[in-house]
Parts: sequence; structure tokens; C-alpha cells
Amino acid sequence: MLKILLPTLMLIPTAWLVPGKWLWPTTLLHSLIIALISLTWLTNLSEVGWSSLGSYLATDALSTPLLVLTCWLLPLMLLASQNHTASEPINRQRMYVTLLTSLQFFLILAFGATEVIMFYVMFEATLIPTLILITRWGNQAERLNAGTYFLFYTLAGSLPLLVALLLLQNNAGSLSLLTLAYSPPMQLTTYGDKLWWAACLLAFLVKMPLYGVHLWLPKAHVEAPVAGSMILAAVLLKLGGYGMMRMLTILEPLTKELSYPFIIFALWGVLMTGSICLRQTDLKSLIAYSSVSHMGLVVGGILIQTPWGFSGALILMIAHGLTSSALFCLANTNYERTHSRTMVLARGLQMVLPLMTAWWFIASLANLALPPLPNLMGELMIIVSLFNWSWWTLALTGAGTLITAGYSLYMFLMTQRGQLPTHITALEPSHSREHLLMALHLLPLILLVLKPELIWGWTA
Amino acid sequence: MSPFILATLLFALGLGTMITFASSHWLLAWMGLEINTLAILPLMAQHHHPRAIEATTKYFIAQATAAAMLLFASATNAWLTGQWDIQLMTHPLPVTLITLALALKMGLAPMHSWLPEVIQGVDFTTGLVLSTWQKLAPFVLLLQLQPTNSTLLLALGTASTLVGGWGGLNQTQLRKILAYSSIAHLGWMTIVLQFSPSLALLTLIVYFTMTFSAFLMFKLNNSTNLNSLAISWTKAPVATALAPLVLLSLGGLPPLTGFMSKWLILQELTKQDLMPLATLLALSALLSLYFYLRLAYSLTLTVSPNTLIGTTPWRHPTSHLTLLLSTSTVATVFLLPITPAIVTLFSLLGT
Repeated sequence: MLKILLPTLMLIPTAWLVPGKWLWPTTLLHSLIIALISLTWLTNLSEVGWSSLGSYLATDALSTPLLVLTCWLLPLMLLASQNHTASEPINRQRMYVTLLTSLQFFLILAFGATEVIMFYVMFEATLIPTLILITRWGNQAERLNAGTYFLFYTLAGSLPLLVALLLLQNNAGSLSLLTLAYSPPMQLTTYGDKLWWAACLLAFLVKMPLYGVHLWLPKAHVEAPVAGSMILAAVLLKLGGYGMMRMLTILEPLTKELSYPFIIFALWGVLMTGSICLRQTDLKSLIAYSSVSHMGLVVGGILIQTPWGFSGALILMIAHGLTSSALFCLANTNYERTHSRTMVLARGLQMVLPLMTAWWFIASLANLALPPLPNLMGELMIIVSLFNWSWWTLALTGAGTLITAGYSLYMFLMTQRGQLPTHITALEPSHSREHLLMALHLLPLILLVLKPELIWGWTA
Repeated sequence: MSPFILATLLFALGLGTMITFASSHWLLAWMGLEINTLAILPLMAQHHHPRAIEATTKYFIAQATAAAMLLFASATNAWLTGQWDIQLMTHPLPVTLITLALALKMGLAPMHSWLPEVIQGVDFTTGLVLSTWQKLAPFVLLLQLQPTNSTLLLALGTASTLVGGWGGLNQTQLRKILAYSSIAHLGWMTIVLQFSPSLALLTLIVYFTMTFSAFLMFKLNNSTNLNSLAISWTKAPVATALAPLVLLSLGGLPPLTGFMSKWLILQELTKQDLMPLATLLALSALLSLYFYLRLAYSLTLTVSPNTLIGTTPWRHPTSHLTLLLSTSTVATVFLLPITPAIVTLFSLLGT
């Protein structure tokens, strides 16, 4: 674990000491090496149980894919941010790299933690770098509002969680994830116990986000710079799913009944946010709502609590992490050229950026879960386990899949096909940096088709 | 002010608090509090300005009322039980009266309304003394009192955290905001006081560190309201870059130092089976967080339009002493990882 953590920390002095000219190449190379080393975590996955075990940090089949995704995202964020920060003073660029690095540091500690309280502290610690990223490097004045929404939604959800966790510590005597699964089942009968159950899950449901408490997410995505959107969609939302999977093992007897409204709400959210996507004019907002819709499916899969549900949820989280991050990068390449997120103003881009269209095509197909991509595997496993629970869910999940295909098509047709408007004929051609960025997003996704057991989680 | 007079006043300021610390007799404790009050009054009024005089007068009236009430209550105690000892008070009436008097002295809600007015009227240094050193003597008395009536302390504490959060929301003056933040933090300490005195002391010291950093930073930038924060990056860029962390630490966000006291207090409250109160307190921290966040927005996270010449004051050498500011800022931001050591230290002090 320290093999990854210490180099990540050393990225901060690297960012401040390296000559300005070499800032981006050096940090990119450094973080890429970290990402490659982090792949070694995947070697122990076939054994069930914990590995890389230290006194505070460890990895297991559930956390490893998310850890590797976190490490993989940092070089991609650095690649994506080079262009739009180029006009800023060098010290601000260094600060930007420092923020992204600190975010990775906190995320590794969050996913690697073996103590629930440590996970909680690190879960909260990611708020500050993300908040600064949104409100300091966003573009519009509305970013302040977005930052406030982001902070207060998350905190209002997670402060009751802190109280619930402290209560659990008083009752169970320990909050170690290594032993918590083996603690004797608690007698949860009173009204207060039900509130405790809700407090344990609410923070993660807000973070996911569940439909109804999702309003912060589109705002944050729309206002954040590209790196902020990428890390938010790819990893920060997954903190919610990861936390829920960890907590559900101890909430056992109550979840069976109490989770019904949340499952229904999540599936209803898939439909609703999908429909919102169909009438979006703002490209980043569309991708953000599509994230909410996919996460609704993940919530459903987790709350159903079957092995297939858990595996499907983890697969979909990883696949969606790569896909939505790729889509945000693509949206940003458009934004850097047209300086607008409005889709009507940037139509028919196939004419000027034909190679980019190929990437748009693959990313859209991944978003609508085309076979044999892992996106389909995840959705299918979730849909099947939900169907096994109740036949009626098929109406919601089926319609959700249809709508997902619909808005993915809408997004692709709207941005790529058709006649090129006359006001954007003189666009800059795409850089090889951008092609590299897209390749590094989509190649892992395609390669995962060949070895999906890496992201199966506990059933591997 | 002549340095001799200043030295005498500062000496008396320290002496008063020390007498209160050392006393076991109510009359001596009262005397220490009075010496303390009388010593700070000339310091508050040293800039002969109507607002400072008004603040001094308000402070004097509030403190004199509290001291009179304290004297009255301890005399009542002597009359009822025949003893003047601070510890081992047996009769509930004087205990309640003294608790209220000390609450008025510290500015706990609902006896808080003098505090923002007073702090707004004095300069940052005196304001810092008012919100740190001046809290010590009454707080230590409250610690020694071991109140029998726990509901009173809980009510005072909860009211303070809520009022501190709500009151600061519509303020644009930094000193008033800091005063409301002081009220909210004192509320947290008051709540945990009866369950774990050492934890209350820890919270007090952590709060001192954080508010020290905040006051010194605003003093360095010479900014007294929200609008003037916008140009503080032109005066001290590095301090301004760290400022949001200091403010969010005051707001109690992990992984900053301010989270430590909130975390431990919530843990203590759950141990006492006070879950609803713990949740209410945790959520009341969001109220305060809102105005800290707004300060952070106007300090660092937005850059207002400026002329080229307006952006250069930081190039001039500054005569401000920044050692204290940098030390307290580091302590305000980075102390959470050594929480176990700090807790152990304070529990040793508590025994």
C-alpha cells in the first residue's frame, strides 16, 4: 500500500520543484508509473479475502478495482487539464496538480481503509479538494452555488452517518472491516434502530446519488473543470456504492424490508433521469444525468443484496467510471474549441473532427451498454437479479435500458451527424494528446471484456 | 498608550485570570474576574473612537452584571450552606445562578447578544483576547463547579450552537462573524462539559488555535468586512491560499484539526445515549459552515477584477510578524492525524 501512497505524496513536491516547462510531462509520467504499479494489486484477486494487509490499510476483491481505477484516473486528469490551464500562471498550475494529487491520496486511503471511521474521514476529506476544484477552477459564476450544493448535500447526508457509526462502535466495540462481518447479528427492533439503519445508508445514497437527492450532481458536473467532472463521475460517486456494500453486511436483518422504498425510488430514478437526458440541451448536464441514471441501477443492484447484484453493481461502477469520464473528456474537447456546452451550437462535428467521431461512437455505445462491453455485463447482472426478486421491476429496468439507448443516440446524432453550422468551420484539429486520452479511457474498457473477473468483486 | 501602563494592564489581565484559576474560595474567584475585567477595559478603549468606547461600555455593563450575579449567588450559597468553597456546592439554587452568571460572562446563548457588538467595536488584537483569554477564567470556574443540573448546560450549549450558526448567516462584518463562531464553539464545549471535562478543555484549546489563526490572518490583510476580503490575495498570497483551510477547519470539516473536537464530542454524546442531541449538534455545524464557506468564497475561490497596479502589494516587504500566524495555521490544518496523542495528553491533564 505504501508503495503507492508514498509516490503519490511525492507527486506534490515534484509538482512544486520541477521547472515550469516540465511540469505536465513530469507529473504525467510520475502518475502513470504509479498507475502501472497499482495494477500489481490485481494479481492476488483470485484468492478470496484481504491482501496487502497492513494495520490500517488493505485491499480485497471489492476495493481493488476501485483503487486501480483511482490510480488510473490521475494521469488521465492531468492529460485532460493541460490545455485549459495553459494560460494560467505557473504557480496556479502547480496548485492544480497538487489538488488532484491530494484527491488521489485521500481516495486511496478511503478505498483502502480497514476501519469504517477512517473510511468516513477520508470520504469527507475528498470534499475539500473537490470543492476547491469546482469553485476555484470552474468557469461560470454559478460555480459557487454548485459548490455550496455539493458540500451541503453531502454533509447533511453524512453527519448522521458519523453519529450512527459512533453508536455502532459503542455497541459492537470495534469498527474494523476485517472483523465486522463476523460480529454477532444485532437485535434491531425499535424505531430508533430503523433510524440508525437509514442514517447508515443515507450518506452513501446522497453521494451515489439516489434520485431525489441528486440535485447537487448535475450542478457540480456542469460547473466543474474537466478534471473535476472526470474524478466526480469516475470515482467520487463510487465512494457511495463502495460504502453501501461495506455497510450492508452489518445492517442485515433490517435491510430486507426497509430497502423496498429505496429500490423502487432508485429504479424510478433511472426512468426519470433518463427522460431528463432526452430533453437536455446542455452536453455536460446530459452526461451528468446519465450518470445519475446509471447509478440508480447500481443502487438497485446493491440493495437487492444477492451475489449477482453486488457483482453487477461493481462491474457497472467500474465500466461507468471509465465511460462517463471518457464522455466528459469528449465534451471538454468540444468545449475547448467552441466555448459552449450547448449542443445546438456544436452540431455535425464529424465533418471537422472525423477521428473524434470514432471516439464519440465507441463512448456512446459503451454508455448504452453494447455487448460485449462490461457495461452490458453489469447492467444485465443487475437486471437479472432484480427480475429474480420481482417480475415487475422488468418494466422499470427494461424501459430504463430503452431510454438509455435513446439518449445515447440523441447525444451522438446531435453532436456528430448532420450539417456543420457555418460558425464553427474553422475549428482547431484534434491533438494527439486528446486521442491518447481517449485511448487510455476506452482501451481498458475493451480489454476488460477479455478478463472480467478482475472487476467481479467477491464472487471471483 | 504608554508602555508602562500597557505592561501594568497586561500584567493585571494575566493576574486576574491566574487568581481565578488558583482560588478555591468564591470571593477570591470573583475578585480575579473583576481584576481581569478592569484590566481589559482600558485596552479596549485605547483607540479613542466612539465605537470602541461604546463597545467598552457594553462589555463593562455585561461583565459587571455577571460579576454581581456571581457575588450574589455565592453569598446566597454561603448563607444557605455555610461555606464558600467552589467545589462541592450542594444547593441547586446558587449553582444554577452561578452557571447563568458564567454563561453571561462567556457569552453563551441566550445571554450572548453583547458579544458580537463588543467584538465588532474593538480591533482584531483585542477581539482575539476577548474571544480567547477572557473565556478562560469563567470556563475554568464552570469546569470546577460540576453542575448538578445537567439540563441547563445542555440547553445553554444547544442554544449557543444554533444561535451561533443562525446569527452569523446574515453578517457581512468579519468580527461579528468571528464572534458568532465563538458562540457556536462555546456551545459545543458547554455541552460536553459535564460528561468529559478533559474533552471540553481539548475543544477549548483547539478552538483557540483555530480562532487565533483566523484573527491573525484578517489582521494581516487588514480586512474587516466581506468585500475587503476580495483583495487580500494581493497582500498575502500564500496566507490567502491557506485561508479556506483555516475557515473550513473552524467549520469542522475532516481532515482538518477542527474535526477532532467535533468527532470526540459526538462520540462522547453517543456514549451517553444522547443520539438525537448528537445529530442535532452535528447538523447545527452546517449552519456555521455556511458562513465560513462564504468567507472562503470571497477570500480565495473567486478572483475579483483588479488593476495591474492593484495586484502588486505583496511584493513590498511586510512589517507584520508572521511566525505566530504560520505556526497556528499549520496547527489548524494538520493536527487531526495525531488525535490519539492529543486526547491522551488532555486526559492526563484532566486527572
